[in-house]
Amino acid sequence: MSKPDHNKPDDPPTMHDVDKPATLFAVYLVVLGLAVANIMLSVAGLHNLALPVQLGIGTVQAVLVAWYWMHLRRGDQVVTLSAVTSLFFVFIFYVLVLSDVLTRWRGGL
Amino acid sequence: MSASTHSPVLKHHFDNLEQQHSAERLGMWMFLATEVLFFSGLFVAYTVYRYLYPADFEFASSHLILWIAGLNTGLLITSSLTMTFAIRAAQLGDRPALLRHLLATAALGSAFMGFKAYEYATDVEEKYVPGPMFQAEYDRAVEELTHAPKDHAESHPHNPAWDLAARNLGKTYGDPGFISPQRVQLFLCFYYVMTGIHGIHILVGIGCILWLVQQTYAGKIPPENYSTVEVVSLYWHLVDMIWLFLMPLLYLAGAGMKSH
Repeated sequence: MSKPDHNKPDDPPTMHDVDKPATLFAVYLVVLGLAVANIMLSVAGLHNLALPVQLGIGTVQAVLVAWYWMHLRRGDQVVTLSAVTSLFFVFIFYVLVLSDVLTRWRGGL
Repeated sequence: MSASTHSPVLKHHFDNLEQQHSAERLGMWMFLATEVLFFSGLFVAYTVYRYLYPADFEFASSHLILWIAGLNTGLLITSSLTMTFAIRAAQLGDRPALLRHLLATAALGSAFMGFKAYEYATDVEEKYVPGPMFQAEYDRAVEELTHAPKDHAESHPHNPAWDLAARNLGKTYGDPGFISPQRVQLFLCFYYVMTGIHGIHILVGIGCILWLVQQTYAGKIPPENYSTVEVVSLYWHLVDMIWLFLMPLLYLAGAGMKSH
């Protein structure tokens, strides 16, 4: 059996494009495990570390979902650019707002 | 011979399927970028107020139903897995598996909404809704607890307004440990708006998945058209991803204070 020619743009997807079930399950177990860990750590009491730890775990979960399940790992460069650009704007949004709120103790901006 | 004769799923304005799939993916990613910006406004506002009123937000969060949030998180993550398997089935041309995975995803999403509806109903029953409902219950609790004998405080109704009134008993605004009922309601505004908008997104996602089921039945999702499933899956994964941030921000803020 000959290998499918991946160069023809009208061909159906080849096995190269198809996810391996083992990878999908591994990502599932890690994301689910992190969710359970997040809840258990929070119930145990994280005090001042609660917000950074919870959001850190959420970020790792989101990166795994985007990279493996949303196929960013084999996405076009322009797709990656649009994803990163949206995060960049979120970053600017947070920085501008928090730079005001977090400095109000000394008179604000 | 024109490229449009190569495949019945190729739209006339594309040169080939690869270009069509790339355009579809990019279009959805651009839409997802606007969704991220839309939700980030809510996240920023929540962050600011949680920073300003940490104790009030922790108290309010501790009265949400954590087991439902945990269960719903599991349902959504599992639905993302079945959605990814649906793409795989579409790529391999396995129509029964595609239908199975799409229906499983829609069922898991519907179960999420079912538990959410039960949670909202419980909140309403406990008068844990911002506005006159919560405020009137809180004022009544303060009035009764202030004039009741000390041992009567133990027999009050167990809902958030009464718990708050009991906690604030003997304190006034500005005293250490005083939890503001207005700030608790501010948290509840975030809770209902954020989970409500997220719920609307889930309903839209379920609608899109059921449309895919209909298309699959009609034989309109051959392997070379798998990107139709992939585009819907991108939306579904983003909705899942947003929940992965909503859940800790809303439900875990007060998890250390009291488990429901």
